[in-house]
Amino acid sequence: MITVKSLHHTFSIGKKGHERKVEVLKGINFHIQTGEIVAIVGKSGSGKSTLLQTIAGFMKPDSGSILVNNTEIAGFTEKQSAAFRLDHFGFIFQNFQLLPSQTVFENIELPLKLKGVSRAIREKKVAELLKKVGLTSVADHYPNELSGGQQQRVSIARAMITNPPIILADEPTGSLDSQTEQEILSLIRLLNKNENLTFVIITHDEEVASIADRQFRMTDGVLVGGMLHVI
Amino acid sequence: MLFKDQLQFVLQHMKKNKLRVTMTVLAAMIGCAFLIVLASIGFGIQQTMENEILNDEAITQIELWGDEILSEKDQEYIEGIDHVNVVLNKADISGMVKSTLEDREGESNASIVDMEAQQQLPSTLSEGRLPKEPNEIVVGYHYAQNLLNEEDIAAIEQKSQKAEQEGTYYDSSEEGYKGELLNKEVTLQFYDENTQEYMEPATFTIVGVLSRPSYEWFVDSKIMFSDSLLGEFPELITYPATTIYVDSIENVMPVLELLKEQNYQVYSQVEQLEELDMFFLIFKIGLIFIGTIAILIASIGIFNTMTMAVTERTREIGVLKAIGASPSLIQRLFLMESTFIGLLGTMLAVIVSYAVSFAANAILPYVVSFALSDEDLSSYEITFSLIPWSLVVIAGGISLAVAILSGLRPARNATKIEVIQALRQEL
Repeated sequence: MITVKSLHHTFSIGKKGHERKVEVLKGINFHIQTGEIVAIVGKSGSGKSTLLQTIAGFMKPDSGSILVNNTEIAGFTEKQSAAFRLDHFGFIFQNFQLLPSQTVFENIELPLKLKGVSRAIREKKVAELLKKVGLTSVADHYPNELSGGQQQRVSIARAMITNPPIILADEPTGSLDSQTEQEILSLIRLLNKNENLTFVIITHDEEVASIADRQFRMTDGVLVGGMLHVI
Repeated sequence: MLFKDQLQFVLQHMKKNKLRVTMTVLAAMIGCAFLIVLASIGFGIQQTMENEILNDEAITQIELWGDEILSEKDQEYIEGIDHVNVVLNKADISGMVKSTLEDREGESNASIVDMEAQQQLPSTLSEGRLPKEPNEIVVGYHYAQNLLNEEDIAAIEQKSQKAEQEGTYYDSSEEGYKGELLNKEVTLQFYDENTQEYMEPATFTIVGVLSRPSYEWFVDSKIMFSDSLLGEFPELITYPATTIYVDSIENVMPVLELLKEQNYQVYSQVEQLEELDMFFLIFKIGLIFIGTIAILIASIGIFNTMTMAVTERTREIGVLKAIGASPSLIQRLFLMESTFIGLLGTMLAVIVSYAVSFAANAILPYVVSFALSDEDLSSYEITFSLIPWSLVVIAGGISLAVAILSGLRPARNATKIEVIQALRQEL
């Protein structure tokens, strides 16, 4: 499903003319199979989020290869990346990243709109998904009228609406209390089991990582302790 | 993304920032309306002047000058040119002709006309017929008004003095011969240039009266004689001229050019019209250029509004890009918004401009009359402002193009927003 080979990336920090190079990804290699939940854990600044953003195509790596469903995406242009994301990835963010001016329904249907799906099909698909994540009653609400847990459910529904094979989650429970965190983790586990979705979860929380089939640990730009089967 | 959804997305955002968008639309509207109204003055003046020329019956005529009467060979050549209907030879008689009818006298201009050719032209008579005999004449519409006796002269003097005191002018239209002119015999005396005296009187019969002139102000009291008059009065000094009648206005220029190539001294009012068109073309371009400056000022407003919109929506753009929106879609959404602002402004500007133009044409004649303490201008066909469709298209095009260009840079900036940076922004 996802194969990453010799992935390198360097950031330039500091004022222009006095820049300092910081290598954040130092030759990352790993492979993720379909239907897996994989957690990448690590401290803040270890490079785990950069790794996710590189896989997502938000930034281009300096070198290396990223194969998703046998497609090399590391050299994609911005336009190609966007089109590929729309078809292959769903995103769950720490801060939910919902559009405040759009209702729950509109937020969830957004990826379908981008794909040019007709209103009738959108309505049907969103209604099904709302039922799945238990948000039918708040379909017309705006994000600021929902609790953190509900907002993250909306975010998960939006990530799944186009039936992407892979969900990339960056600290999915980072903004939630422990009870809500458990609810969201249960939902992720359920969706993985029922829909055979592949989850790549970036987290610094060991409890979140514990739901993963496999855990990778990121330390100073190096993926260590990989291939560890925890369940 | 379906076009319908893109439109809905854009409208949703415009609704959210109603006040800012409304103000920008108003700025665009004022700019565009200023351009249209300013240029409409050029179109209005042009139409007024063109109407003045086109209303003249002489618009399909070509005047041919020469010291001598047109030779038969020349006449045949000109008559043979395509689109030439009639070649009318005429001659103005030197000096005024004195008319006497009963106790009344008057002086008129006089001309001799080739009645055979005149017969082929549409009738210019209000009553009667064209002369057939040397002693038959046709008179101008105001000929009777020109025949005055002593009582009339006194009355005119009195009325003129009164009018002068009131600061107006009396046109003597209430005096003159009131009876029927047709078939009346008048005594005419030609002026002899050699002796500087009037010749012996001769009697003529009025067989026709010309139609009222198209210009209200024109007093037509002339006398038209048949060309056989010269047989009776060979000593008369005349100034020959020829008028070539062309079938329609668009054929005047080709015939004119052809005659000029053959070294004929010809002139037509259509030439004047063409010169006028060129002058007004430059004049209108100048006005449109000045008006465009107003639109450019309005474009700063659109640029600001769109820049603000992009800044405010940085996080939203980030989310859209993260979930798969292409850069071209992001650019299109912002361009649609600036285009929509421009379109709304333009549409409102067209409505406002037509209203201003209508009001100007209705009110300005009175205002100008009042300001100049002159006679009532409302009876004249003066167009102060005219908005043809071509002006709406030009102004609308400029306004829309400027609106799109104003939104282009902010829209491009939106596509350059980095997803990671955008998602880091707080709500």
